[in-house]
Amino acid sequence: MSRDLAERADGILRRDFLKVVGVTGAGATLTGCSTQDVEKLLPYVVAPEEITPGVATWYTTVCGGCAAECGMWVRTREGRAVKVEGNPSHPVSQGGICSRGHATLQHLYNPDRFHGPMIREGAVFRQGTWDEAERLLAARLRRARNPQNVVDGGDVLLMTGHTGPTMSRLLDEFVAALGGLRVDYDAVSDAPLLEAARIAYGVSSIPRYDIGAARLLVSFGYDFIDTGASPVEHNKGLARMSAVNDEEGSKGRFVFLGPRLSLTGLNADEWIPIRPGSEAAVALGIASAIAGPDAAGPYASLLQAYSPASAAEAAGVSEEAIMALAERFRSEGASLALGPGVGAHHRNATAANLAVMILNHVAGNVGRTVHYDTVSSAAANPMAEMQGAIAAMAAGDIGVAIVHGANPAYSLPAAAGFLAAFERVPFKVSFSSAMDETAALADLVLPDRHFLEAWGDSMPRPGVMAIQQPVMSAVPMFDSKQAGDVLLAVLALNGTAQASATFYEYLRSAHMAMHDAAMGDFEAMWREALRTGSVTHAMPAAAAPELRAPDRALAFDTPAFDGSGDLTLVVHPSSRFAGGEFANSPWMQELPDPVSKIVWHSWLEINPVTAEARGLRNGDLVSVTSPHGAVEVPLWLYPGIREDVVALAMGAGHTSMGRYADGHGVNALDLLPASAEQPSGAMVTLATTVTVEATGRGMRLATVDGSAGDQHDRPIAPAVQFALLGQEPAAEEEHEELMELQGGGGFIPVPAEDGSPASFPLEGSRYGMYADAHEGPRWAMAIDLDKCTGCSACVTACQAENNVPWTGEDQVRMGRDMMWIRIERYYEHVDATQASDLDVRFLPMLCQHCNNAPCEPVCPVFATYHTPEGVNAQIYNRCVGTRYCANNCPYKVRVFNWYRYTDAIPEPLNWQWNPDVTVRDNGVMEKCSFCMQRIREAENRAALEDRRPVRDGEVVPACEQSCPAEAIVFGNIRDPNARVTQVVASERTYRVLDVVINTQPAVNYLRKVTFHEVEAGHV
Amino acid sequence: MRKNWLIGGLAGVLIALAGVAFVQGGGGEAEAEGASIQPIAFPHNLHAGSEEGQANMDCQFCHFSAERSVDAGIPSVATCWGCHQVIPGRTNPQEVAKIEEYVESGEPIPWVRLYKISDHAHFPHMRHIAAGLACQQCHGEIQQVGAEGIQTRTGIGRALFGVDPGVNDNGPVWGGGNMGWCIDCHRQPNEQGVQQASTDCAVCHY
Repeated sequence: MSRDLAERADGILRRDFLKVVGVTGAGATLTGCSTQDVEKLLPYVVAPEEITPGVATWYTTVCGGCAAECGMWVRTREGRAVKVEGNPSHPVSQGGICSRGHATLQHLYNPDRFHGPMIREGAVFRQGTWDEAERLLAARLRRARNPQNVVDGGDVLLMTGHTGPTMSRLLDEFVAALGGLRVDYDAVSDAPLLEAARIAYGVSSIPRYDIGAARLLVSFGYDFIDTGASPVEHNKGLARMSAVNDEEGSKGRFVFLGPRLSLTGLNADEWIPIRPGSEAAVALGIASAIAGPDAAGPYASLLQAYSPASAAEAAGVSEEAIMALAERFRSEGASLALGPGVGAHHRNATAANLAVMILNHVAGNVGRTVHYDTVSSAAANPMAEMQGAIAAMAAGDIGVAIVHGANPAYSLPAAAGFLAAFERVPFKVSFSSAMDETAALADLVLPDRHFLEAWGDSMPRPGVMAIQQPVMSAVPMFDSKQAGDVLLAVLALNGTAQASATFYEYLRSAHMAMHDAAMGDFEAMWREALRTGSVTHAMPAAAAPELRAPDRALAFDTPAFDGSGDLTLVVHPSSRFAGGEFANSPWMQELPDPVSKIVWHSWLEINPVTAEARGLRNGDLVSVTSPHGAVEVPLWLYPGIREDVVALAMGAGHTSMGRYADGHGVNALDLLPASAEQPSGAMVTLATTVTVEATGRGMRLATVDGSAGDQHDRPIAPAVQFALLGQEPAAEEEHEELMELQGGGGFIPVPAEDGSPASFPLEGSRYGMYADAHEGPRWAMAIDLDKCTGCSACVTACQAENNVPWTGEDQVRMGRDMMWIRIERYYEHVDATQASDLDVRFLPMLCQHCNNAPCEPVCPVFATYHTPEGVNAQIYNRCVGTRYCANNCPYKVRVFNWYRYTDAIPEPLNWQWNPDVTVRDNGVMEKCSFCMQRIREAENRAALEDRRPVRDGEVVPACEQSCPAEAIVFGNIRDPNARVTQVVASERTYRVLDVVINTQPAVNYLRKVTFHEVEAGHV
Repeated sequence: MRKNWLIGGLAGVLIALAGVAFVQGGGGEAEAEGASIQPIAFPHNLHAGSEEGQANMDCQFCHFSAERSVDAGIPSVATCWGCHQVIPGRTNPQEVAKIEEYVESGEPIPWVRLYKISDHAHFPHMRHIAAGLACQQCHGEIQQVGAEGIQTRTGIGRALFGVDPGVNDNGPVWGGGNMGWCIDCHRQPNEQGVQQASTDCAVCHY
């Protein structure tokens, strides 16, 4: 069988043996000892037909990471999932996958998963059998529901998180059969948006946004590309909306209003730093300025109370800024307003969402860029219902509490009293597949399958249905069982007859019942859904909905915040952990936060002006106190936050979730009140003021932000003004000499009239010093910085594809992070005091594969060299670790393996490793290889099919595949028709530092395009 | 990948100091004469040999994925059993009978790996087969090797190539046992006098 199934059977490893010898110095003991690793070759007993050893098998499925339900391709090798990718044929996500989506693989192979059903015995868990566990649950349910039982009887409470529609139906049936109550809880919830849609239009579904169709995009603090309802889809939409369209010469404008720049905010063209909680006033102020007579329907009188002046007053910004934005709504064509999102769930959040809907309505966006699907789903009041459930538990009314897909012991404010109430429940059950704060309190744990091991479905939007199919059999060391199967078994045990014995049958029959015979054979539809990943049903076109009068009183004012602190606290979902469920993934812990570039620990964002006024510096440990709690956290000075606001991300500070989550950071919910927004019932995140006091202690931030957001006048991430596109660029006089030098190299293709390969390279093309060596492909990459949003999906994709290890918080502090690709983030213009142009530049930095590479001549052992195909290769087995190459690399993209980081990776996390990529040992330099294994795979395939060279687009590096913004293009630049060649022909193309040091990189960047004038020196 | 040369250098010093018959020990006690390390004494010659009484089977009948995959493939127990449930075996029926035990227990046969290329080198079988190479070019006249040949690495090294793989832990037993042997072949000119295969490092090492 293949390498990865070969196992080491010998007990003694060579180096362990040598250590022993080294200590004793007794060479004579050598005789007779085996110094070999004996590897076993374990064949299949019966070979599965669809698996060829050494060849990847791909499956489509649905990402279970969040409610966005993106389409996924999963690459499996010898029956193990090794990589997830975006499914380009999925109608919602359309290819691309976020970094959290990648991290779901680490949940599958989470070493802290339960090894079987766990039954509490006193203070500890005992591992039981499934039969035993199911009988226990069935018996306890009968006992709880027995009317004679006055000791520990009571209702059944089911607390659930996000599930697919069919599983959700089964949960409802389960509760109905038992006579109980179900609460859907998630700290990161769109309940105010849903409630506002119900009030305004009588629909209970989240509006669908066509961001790409907008020419003016306005976000009221909504972080839609990172932590919103559908990050991949919306990230793609933003890239399509705001990237310059070279053919049409157009570019959409993005204005961000909010107290803090989230990752989404950093991508805006303009920032209006409004006061926290003033979104409704601003939206209504703009609406009042642009609304024609009758446009606002029943809200006309409401709008009369607002004006740009009142909006400016509430928001603390100038009236001109509001007027200018209102003018853009009139003049810039299709517009779209979004928001405010979870980070701004204050006590009037439903009203704020409604205000944004009114703005969209009067701007004529409904049916154009905003669509309301007239479907009904149950209205969720997560926090309000949870409060009811907590009260019932505290009162002793609940006999059995069951938790599925949620972690309320962590994701509720401490003040909500969940822990004490949950403790009172006589029998507590968790379906968590790994330990978390709630499972730690349970009496019975029934570990659920990971979504990559289980059947399920999804309906990311009405009319789109996708099946979640298992891509591998369950990880054998974890004796898990799909929750749906358990529920069906328990129902059967308790005498409720079930038509389906397994959840798979239940799922199939549910879809059979939904199947419209007019669409053809069910089996054919099912197979097609599994093959392509989704089925789209034609939906009747929804009529433009009528704006309805509110059925309840709503306050649109800025709400009062708790306490008398001088700083308002913004608590927002984390880029990496969302609400906290991704915290036990070391990939997520070590992924630099897209905004702060900090890893592993929490940080409090504060404006540098505010910090300076208090004598606080970066890394100072401060105690943050609200009326509801206090935490100690290091400071991070961030220019993208208002001076009267501080911000803290959710998701960290776990206590019993696993080895990678526990003890890292603080739980931001500790500072929040246990109140629900009215009328949506969502948890409030923007509700309190805090005081920030120095503790006198400090720490070095674990950050990868080398130059703290400053380019220091180096031509790293230049930009070009939109109005100047198409004009002759100014002559770069100072570098003329270098330009001459470059006559022998570089990658500036000339337009090809005769496109035949024989006539390539064309006269005048510059292909670098190795050009004559080879006739084959010449690999190159283009990255459009006008599309890149800095989301960091590529970083995790690269880590997953190339077996890049994580190193830990202390190692990162020492600069020993191992990422092969990182996202540089430079602040060019950020002003938190007034409305102004915003200019923040993101630049994915990976090995530039220089044709004139500084690393190559300094390697004493020829471990790094240039391949004839234009790749700067690193041959690990040649490398002796002098690190000269890293010292000589101007881009800091070479990373050194200081310790055996990969050895520390526990089973079965290492099952994720890509068997096509060498797992590097310590003492070896490594870096981006342009996904050499994918190039080889494509070449092998092409050779077997007797067609050379490989087709354009056949080699897709992991970063390009994942990029939701479609910013990265890779290919053979020698081919005049290749996508990369055509992209690089843009006038915006440049190569980082090339004009200064003549490295002639193979990675070409396309300048970001700004609306404002770009300062000299940064062009 | 293991950087064994560093450790190997240290080992060399230790061996010199000790001055014991380390080399005589071969790879260790597992390779003592006559001792069997394979779970079944499998004779390649009876299966793939073309002499009288030998089955003359194609290598890829069992090593089924060699022409379409990086990996040549080890036959599943079901493949063995497909023939051997009707062919009890003339020479060593007791060895053939072991297959049935594996079939019944549903356990894979734990073959001990003898051919191994280091983890930092990639050898795509299908490309070499597509280039028209015979299996024997790298693996030697394996179809002439009996059960004793694959019992030990020393045995197979001597039987096929007349070389002793010696004490190199995990040292490859194919060909001459080092990269030069690969390169020699890659460098050979084809009929047009052009080098026939790439000798770029990154073709195999990535």
